Amino acid sequence: MSSDAAALKDADSPPDESAIERYIGHDEFDPIGTLALIMVYFLILVLMWLFMYFVEFVGNEPTVVGMV
Amino acid sequence: MSAYIDQFPAEAKVIRSAFYTSFIALALGAAFGLIQTLHRTDIVRVIPSEMYYTVLTAHGVLLVVTFTIFFLVAIFTWAVTTSLDRGVEDIRFTWSWYVLMSLGTLFAAVAILAGFTDRTEMSADVLFTFYAPLQAHPIFYIGLVLFVIGTWLAGADWFRSWWAWKQENPDERIPLPTFMVLTTMIMWYLATLGVATSIIVFLIPWSLGLIDTVNPTLTRTLFWFWGHPVVYFWLMPAYMMWYVMLPKFSGGRLFSDPLARVVFVLFLLLSTPVGIHHQYLDPGIAEGFKFIAMTNTMFLLLPSLLTAFTVVASMEHGARQRGGEGYFGWLGALPWRDPVFAGMALAGLMFAAGGFSGMINAGMNINYLVHNSLWVPGHFHLTVGTAVALTFMAVSYHFIPQVTGRRLASKQIALFQVVLWFIGMTFMSNAMHRGGLLGMPRRTAEPEYDFPFETAIGTVGELNAQIALGGVLLTLSTVLFVANMLITALNDPADDLPSNTIPEPLSGSEDAPLVLDNLKLWTAIAVVLVIFAYSLPLGSIVERGGLFGPGGDAFPMFIEFVEGTVFGLTGDSVSSLVNSPLEWLRAMR
Repeated sequence: MSSDAAALKDADSPPDESAIERYIGHDEFDPIGTLALIMVYFLILVLMWLFMYFVEFVGNEPTVVGMV
Repeated sequence: MSAYIDQFPAEAKVIRSAFYTSFIALALGAAFGLIQTLHRTDIVRVIPSEMYYTVLTAHGVLLVVTFTIFFLVAIFTWAVTTSLDRGVEDIRFTWSWYVLMSLGTLFAAVAILAGFTDRTEMSADVLFTFYAPLQAHPIFYIGLVLFVIGTWLAGADWFRSWWAWKQENPDERIPLPTFMVLTTMIMWYLATLGVATSIIVFLIPWSLGLIDTVNPTLTRTLFWFWGHPVVYFWLMPAYMMWYVMLPKFSGGRLFSDPLARVVFVLFLLLSTPVGIHHQYLDPGIAEGFKFIAMTNTMFLLLPSLLTAFTVVASMEHGARQRGGEGYFGWLGALPWRDPVFAGMALAGLMFAAGGFSGMINAGMNINYLVHNSLWVPGHFHLTVGTAVALTFMAVSYHFIPQVTGRRLASKQIALFQVVLWFIGMTFMSNAMHRGGLLGMPRRTAEPEYDFPFETAIGTVGELNAQIALGGVLLTLSTVLFVANMLITALNDPADDLPSNTIPEPLSGSEDAPLVLDNLKLWTAIAVVLVIFAYSLPLGSIVERGGLFGPGGDAFPMFIEFVEGTVFGLTGDSVSSLVNSPLEWLRAMR
């Protein structure tokens, strides 16, 4: 089934067996895409912590940092 | 192979009623949300500011208690009957808990909504947290008690089904959806002990005038004893949907049944002994106890991160079966035009963002930066307001046809609705988080005072505009949802509904260690953890303040003394509003 045909099918009925092109069992399945997404998650997490700390917190008056 | 209503017609009727009740609460709660967001941002004001707490209480209680819990009892009933493949033991009992929950809701809602009129003595402007010495009319507390007893009976109904099933299937593993329901309910029984004690022993006698004061730190702590686990009571049904339904709609299978069981066991163990993390800034609780709560809270991140892995891996399995390739390319092979899938996936994505702010809330030191600020509502609109609410709305597009036997009114509008919710929440929640970092307070009709908040990027006006815009989009999304559901309920019967099945996991229950199904063991450990986390803090609170003191005077009772001065300025309506419960109390005494 082409991707367009699959998309059209999706608009009319819930995804079911008919959209499946191949069956992947427990041993053949390697969730590498999940790993990639989780790495992106942690990267965002680290960047947002840095952003919050330097821009929104330290860059913002009044703050206790540097007062003593 | 048939739809749920064909398999279990009697149960479908109860489930339908619970869904409809939750939708009514959602519609009302959303209307109050709109009033609030436009009022706070000073864009349109239709109520006087003194009425803000009435609106806020109605918004909070109707959405996080009524909408969520009615919805979850519906899907839990679906889950138990479907996975055990047997109807409830006695349908009259099932109706009885539904009626009791409805009655409780009616009582509490009447007390809250009475706050809008001067014609009655009642009010319950105490917000979702009902902290003493804020006081509600007794009917509010009585309503909450009836509602909670209703949920206890609902849990008993599901346990009863499981026991009956076990007699006939002594050697089988508990089916995963039933396992999820049972662990969630054990957690709920344990957690509700706190709020039940707070209400029955202290707040009801106090609101009836039988005792003069309560110990506010004690009732607050008992509230949060329940107030954090209730978060998981909302979230675990959403997780169940992600584990059970999302793989099905992705075209794949759940990656791991054992991991799912581990996650639910961890939630049972860790949901309750963490409530004190809502009280990091409360005086009267020693820092050491707060530190223990923080440690437990950090452990609680684990099951959510495990869920992120298992659920995303299950989606990836579906995507690869549908022909997806590459590190990120497989995301495009997912059925994004299906509203059930798209809504749940977007809810999960937003929950990941909720994890960012949740980790900040959880840290004792950095919590001080955001505590009681607009950041906190920003956070929980991502979690309960999207991860839970959007998941529930999305699965409704599957479940309502299943339990009514009718065709979904419009799939296109459904898809637009879930995306609109996502966009609206992106605006509103992001701006709320940023506002909180500037120190904007939550829970007030007049957040600006006359204080010029300094922004590092953008302006306060821009933040307010984003909050208001987000709120309007969310309301529009709710209207579309409710209308779609209403038309579906009245739509033509469908004869081609998908069958009510749950696909087998890739790694099934046979791979899960037997000990995971030992509910007695996990219950015992959960109780021990609660005793560790709470006995010393509660003991020290009671030792310092006494069981019933040093509470201070109840508000609205407080007004009696300053009536002439402060409330003389705000007019008779507020005066009489706060005085009427007082007179009622005096009459009681």
